[in-house]
Amino acid sequence: MADLPAPRSADDDVLEIACREFVELVTEHMEGTLPKALESAIAAHLELCDPCVVYLEQTRRTAAALGTLPSPTLPAAARDRVLEMFTSLHGGTDPAAPR
Amino acid sequence: MHHDGALSAVAAAVLEGGHAAQVELLDRLRAGDRTAFAELVDAWSPMLLRVARLHVSTHASAEEVVQETWLAVIRQLDRFEGRSSLRTWVFRILENQARTRGVREARTVPWSFGSGADGHEHAGATVDRARFRGPEDRWPGGWTPEGRPTAWEPPPEDAAMAAEVRRELRAALDELPERQRTVVELRDVYGLSSDETCERLGLSPGNQRILLHRGRARLRARLEHVYRGTTGEGARRG
Repeated sequence: MADLPAPRSADDDVLEIACREFVELVTEHMEGTLPKALESAIAAHLELCDPCVVYLEQTRRTAAALGTLPSPTLPAAARDRVLEMFTSLHGGTDPAAPR
Repeated sequence: MHHDGALSAVAAAVLEGGHAAQVELLDRLRAGDRTAFAELVDAWSPMLLRVARLHVSTHASAEEVVQETWLAVIRQLDRFEGRSSLRTWVFRILENQARTRGVREARTVPWSFGSGADGHEHAGATVDRARFRGPEDRWPGGWTPEGRPTAWEPPPEDAAMAAEVRRELRAALDELPERQRTVVELRDVYGLSSDETCERLGLSPGNQRILLHRGRARLRARLEHVYRGTTGEGARRG
């Protein structure tokens, strides 16, 4: 039971969140946009809840894996044209090169 | 002399206007440092193509817009005053180029990012309610034993999984509602900051986070489905 958050008590005025709430806050937690009180509640929750730690980790890994998707870029001919233009306008040793 | 040279051109180009490393990068570019310029072209052309596609109707048009953008950057480089980051300035040029062409192509933007929430994209939980305990439970809202997520083994970045993960993510991205897909792509695939994403799409920070949240949640669920389907097979496949 160590991996479950403590039962909620109605009298408790310390902010507590449940797993079902954490999964809807995970993006704002990762973005760092949550108020301090909620961040504290999340930190306390994650201390006790391994499945939510796994959920957070999976969301991070999903975002990271998206960064490895191949993306189209400029065709080589267009890239060459751009670099040629760069060198012809800014290259060379003439500091007063035309723009 | 150029101790800041340790910073790559790409890193310097996202710094705020006026930063010493940005000034140094501009000096290098204006002096014709082709390596630094090529670094920017190679790092940014994919994301510029993606943003251009928001404004024009074909990939070929987007390629032309991006090429024209780089040519305009080259021509205007000496006039850039460095008040914003170099990347922000390049984005503005791109948008001017794309808008001009978009008007010429009479492309009508199929949705407005500024129009706020549109119902189903924002409603409801991102994780099946059945995976959580009910209100009468001792741990209301906690994961049920069957519902709790289990660690992904091997992880998505492992060579044994990478190809399948990419295939699934690409397919799942294409199935997302367009606003969610666009935000997730700009943020996670192309690496724009949240500020840049909001500015490119005319979104409020809050709306951007909602779209990112819902999109990522669906993609995580897709990968979870893949892992649940291959439980116990991962090691053998690897």
